[in-house]
Parts: sequence; C-alpha cells; structure tokens
Amino acid sequence: MTRPFILSAAIADPELAVPETAATYLAAADEAGLDLLLFGEAGGRPFDAQVLVAWAAPRSQRVGLVATVPASNAHPFHVARALSAVDFLSGGRTGWSVIPEGAAEGTAEDMVGAARSLWDGWGSDTLILDKASGRYLDASKVKASNYEGPFFKVTGPVNAMRPLLGQPVLVLDDAAPIAIKDADIALVSEATADAGATKSLLKVTLDTKVEDVAALFADGKIEGVHMSLSDPLAELPKLAALFAEQVAANPGGEGDLRARLGLPLASTASNQPDGAKIPEIA
Amino acid sequence: MSKQIHLWAFLQGIGFYPTGWMHERARPEGVFSMDYYSYVARLAEKGRFDAIVFGDQLQSRGAGGRTPERMAMPTLDPMTLLTAMAAVTDHVGLVATISTTFNTPEMLAERFGTMERITGGRAGWNIVTSVHPDTAGNFGLDEMPPKETRYSNAADVVDKACELWAAMDRAGPHLNQGRPVLVQAGQSPAGREFAARTAEAIFCPAPSIEAGIDFRNDMRSRISGVGRNPDGTRVMPGLSCVLGGTEAEARANHKAIMDMASVELAIEYLSESLCCDLTSFDPNAKLPVEAILEKTLLPTADVGRMVTPAGEKGTSLRDFAMNFMLNPRGHNVFIGTPEQMADMMIEWRDAGACDGFTLQPSYMPGGLEDFVEGVIPILQQKGRYRTEYPGTTLRSTLGLPAYERTEA
Ligand SMILES: Cc1cc2nc3c(=O)[nH]c(=O)nc-3n(C[C@H](O)[C@H](O)[C@H](O)COP(=O)(O)O)c2cc1C
Repeated sequence: MTRPFILSAAIADPELAVPETAATYLAAADEAGLDLLLFGEAGGRPFDAQVLVAWAAPRSQRVGLVATVPASNAHPFHVARALSAVDFLSGGRTGWSVIPEGAAEGTAEDMVGAARSLWDGWGSDTLILDKASGRYLDASKVKASNYEGPFFKVTGPVNAMRPLLGQPVLVLDDAAPIAIKDADIALVSEATADAGATKSLLKVTLDTKVEDVAALFADGKIEGVHMSLSDPLAELPKLAALFAEQVAANPGGEGDLRARLGLPLASTASNQPDGAKIPEIA
Repeated sequence: MSKQIHLWAFLQGIGFYPTGWMHERARPEGVFSMDYYSYVARLAEKGRFDAIVFGDQLQSRGAGGRTPERMAMPTLDPMTLLTAMAAVTDHVGLVATISTTFNTPEMLAERFGTMERITGGRAGWNIVTSVHPDTAGNFGLDEMPPKETRYSNAADVVDKACELWAAMDRAGPHLNQGRPVLVQAGQSPAGREFAARTAEAIFCPAPSIEAGIDFRNDMRSRISGVGRNPDGTRVMPGLSCVLGGTEAEARANHKAIMDMASVELAIEYLSESLCCDLTSFDPNAKLPVEAILEKTLLPTADVGRMVTPAGEKGTSLRDFAMNFMLNPRGHNVFIGTPEQMADMMIEWRDAGACDGFTLQPSYMPGGLEDFVEGVIPILQQKGRYRTEYPGTTLRSTLGLPAYERTEA
C-alpha cells in the first residue's frame, strides 16, 4: 500500500485570481512538490475556486487542485459538471472541499451526496468512440441518479462524464466540519482516530516541530501536513525544506492523484471503484 | 475603412454535424483532454477570432428514457473549458453559456467575476434561460417555468449580477472589462425584447441574406426603441461550412459527411430534438406525427409546425430524420471554395445582414483548421478582417465602448 508523506497547503489570497500572480503561485507549488493545493479555505474564499482550478489545470504539472466549494452558493449539478471537466483537463488531479459557509445544517453533506450520485450515473467504461461502427457510448452504462436529499433533488446523471478519478478527492477541514464519514483527506488540528477520512493531515506552521510530526507519521496517526499560507512565495519553499526528509523517505506512487497518494475510492462513496476510461483512437 | 467582419467560433462539443465525430479528421477522444483544447484555443487565436463560444445544455440527455448511443455526448462544462483555454492564450475572448433559470445571481456573479479576473478581461456571457423540459428535474423542479417568467427572471438576474460585479470591481482586484460582455440569442418576442435591452452581441440563425437583414434591422430598431445605441451591439448569425479546393470537391466533402449518417443516428438525433423517443418506430413507415405530438415534452404547437407538413405528405420517418440532420438548426451552411466563402461573407456584411458570423465548424478540429487556413487569409488580404488584436479585452476586440464605472 502506497504511504507517501503528503504535503498540502491552502491559499486564500484574492490575488490568486489575478493571472500573473496565480502563475507564480502555481509554479512555486509544483516546485515545492506540494501534493494538494486548496484554492480558498473556510473563512477565506475571495473567489470562485471552481473557476480557478480550471485555469490552473494547464498551468501546473503535478499538484492536486482542490476547489473549496461553499454549500451556500453552489448547486451540485453545476459543481459535479465543473469538477468533472477540471479532472479531465488536469489529467486526474482534482479535489474538492465542501464548506457550509452559512448554509443550513446538512446542505454541505447533501451536496456531497448529490454530486456523488451524479458522477456515479456513468460507468467507467461507458465511452466506446468507435468511428467505424458509429457507436459513441454504451447506453446500458448510463443510469439516472434520482437523488433526493433534504435540500437537493436531482434526476441526473451529470451531463458530463464520470471524472478520471471516479470522484475528485474529497477534503474535510475541521475548521468547518461536515458530517461525512468516508472522505479521502481530513485536515486536522490534532490527530484523531475518527476524522472522517481515509487519511489525516496535521495542520502545521513553519514553527511546528518536525520530530513531533515524524513521530505521529511513524505511529500511523497522520499521513502528512497541511499549512494555511499567508505569503505563498516565501512560505512554500520553507514548508518543502522543513519536511524534505519525510517526503524523500516516503515517496508517492505513480499515476493520477488517487494512485499517487494511495487513496482508492471508498466503496461507500461510489457504486464502482474506477474512474472514466477514454478509449484510445488509432 | 470598409466594414470589418467579426468572427466567433461556436464550439459546442464536437462540431455542427451529428456525424462530425466520426470524420477521419475529428478527434472525439480529444474533448476529454487539455491537449485538444490548447490546440483549438491557439488555432482560434491564430485565426484572430473575437471569441470562442461554448453552448450549453443542462438536461441529462435521454436519461429519463433512452440514452442515445450514436450521438457525441457528454459535453463538459463550458466555463471550465473556456477558463482553461484562457490559460494558454493571450487575446481571444471566451464566451460561456450560462442559464439564468438555474443559477442564482450570486452564483453567476462569483463565477463570472472570477473568470473575468483570471482571463484578464476576456470573458463573455451567453445568457440563456434554458428550454429543454428535462432540465427541470436536475434542479428539483417538476416542470420548466413558462417562457415569459423565464425572461422576466433573466432580466432580474442580469441586473442583480451587474450590481454584484460593480461591487467586486470596487473591492478589487479590478475587473478589466468591469463585467463580462453580455451576449444573447433570443428569437421569440420576449427573447428579442430582452436582447434589445441587454445584449452587446446577439446570435441568431439566418439561413439567407434576406433573413439576416430582417433580423438585424428588427434588432437595431428594438435596440433604438429602448434608448440604446444599436452600434453597441454586434449581430452574429450562425454559419457552418464545408470547404474544398473546387466547388465539386467541396460538394464531395459535404456528401462524405452526410454519408456517414446512419438511419439509427438520424433517428436518435431527431428523438433528442423533438424530446420524444422514436427509436422503436419503423423507419420505413410514415412519420408518426400523432405519436410524436402525444409524447413530446416540448410545446406541441412548435413541434407540430416541424412535423405536420411532412406527415401530410406521407414522408417516411427515415427520410424525415435524414433530412432533418442535413441542416438541423436553421443556420446558413456554406459549401464551396474559401474564395467563394470570403465573398459571401463580405456580401452579407455589406448588405447589413450581420456584423460578423458565429462560425460552427462542421467537425472538430478539421473544420476549424480548414477555415483558419483557407478563408481567414483571404478576408485579411481584402482588408476586411483584423491581422492583429487591437487590445487584450474582449470588449476592445469587439470594438465596443469601454465599460463606464459608476459610483456605488
Ligand atoms: C446560435 C444560437 C446558439 C444558442 N445556444 C444555446 C445554448 O447553448 N444553450 C441554450 O440553452 N440555448 C441556446 N440557444 C437558444 C436561445 O437562447 C433561445 O432560447 C432560442 O434562440 C429561442 O429563443 P426564445 O428563447 O426567445 O424562444 C441558442 C440559440 C442560437 C440562435
């Protein structure tokens, strides 16, 4: 089982929406070997992150692009579609973090449930794309979602495709908790046994003691670190340097973001284990 | 200076023709990869297009009944594709189709405001109210709101979004264009009235030069009627094409596209367009007009106008479907040489039938390549089309007056 030491960070600077600045931040994130970059975070979301991760897809190489999505100002149909597209454009590097941001209790969870069922309406091997026979897809692999939650009712499926990752990597933040038990990543202020995700990342600063982090990692209590950046260009290289030894000793796997970080799609999260397969065309 | 031609590339999915994805120069797998969009975006910019436009629909096609197997779907989210295309280009405008019926002004304003910022002022919004009845179910509704309600709501949504953009602009970082360029494609009286009040560019189908003149004159008088300057709105009818080195070659290329059509594809396409599954009917029997009118989810009067004449003539389902696919959306389809096409475009422009065209390549990316390589240089040689972009914003490319900032 792949067990890399994961490096994650969040940027909530409004300048992330300005192309010149965004380009330097993304280059710095890739340079630092960052695994996940959160666009916005709870309490700091001065842009629409779903749009920015689209711009970032061709402007970055390796970093996972995590859109912070407010349950109060989004609809699961639009979110599911946008993130599916970002996942194709980034070659399977998409993540999302749903925060309530003032929405009624349960809205964020409902959004996660609805989006998952929209993506799950498409089988991994739906596309055929055979020019000779004229068959574009296998209709038996497309199913209505018929999702009905307390806030969202969606026939579906999404009128895009299941993402390459199956579903984008779902990130929870304990600063804006939501009641999801099968997320992929939890950002935690303190290591805990039931963070609600496959892997937990400890929130750190540049003053955090590396030995403490190393001990928690060795004990299997955390799988890496997350830092909220206020001056990304200055902090990213320092963050990378601080944990360089851990990262070097615990490299990730090959392939898309899930494969690299050792995050298979949870069986409770999806009706199938794989992401979309795009047939090769001669 | 002789009248300049504006050009938009309308790239809905895989091209204008339902058969287009099967063409040897089509890349149906490309629509799922960044490489393809980078290539297409740079090609449009090389052709000095004003903008790339992605249409959009929010229904889950066929999910309620039968999912088509031969049509190129699904389609990816337009704003995502366009924003990524902006990241690999410097000048070309990016116009996203977004529905006012299924987005709140807050959602819209935040998404478009961010897009406007990260594209450096190249965003446009094709304002649609959504028509397809199956859209409702994806947003928790049992049925679509009636058209009048949709357009009055659209006006409110646009007003509110404009207020929100003004606030975003003041708060900074600054929006280069103030707000996205507003684009519309209304055909009905309610739709045209809305466009007259709102639009800075208008799409329309215009199958002939006369239809173009009528539409543009109608829109210009409606725009004057609401106290706006009609020169501040570009009228951009749709235009598809199949080119060839000679007329005969162009006709052969067109026939090749048509010959890829199977009856099964044609009937699936007709079923989607009429909102009623016809795949279990005998293709050789008469067009089942009564069944269509009974089963369609679209307004029966609209569908009746489309199918009743053929029903009376006794046309077969096969023939009707194949014919429908020849020119599905009432747009001008040009078949000929690049020279002839350039001449036709100039004739339309000089006759006042348009300010430019919304090019809908017959298949992708081959159809766009042919146009950019064949027709653009001729228009440029004749002095009717830009060789360089005048600035960096879509507004400047369109030659529209700068956005006027007002105090809060
Ligand atoms: C060239 C063109 C492109 C259009 N693209 C879209 C689209 O992408 N999505 C959509 O929902 N409607 C689209 N429409 C439909 C229009 O928004 C409008 O609903 C239609 O022209 C009928 O006019 P009405 O709404 O006034 O009845 C398009 C129309 C035209 C002429």
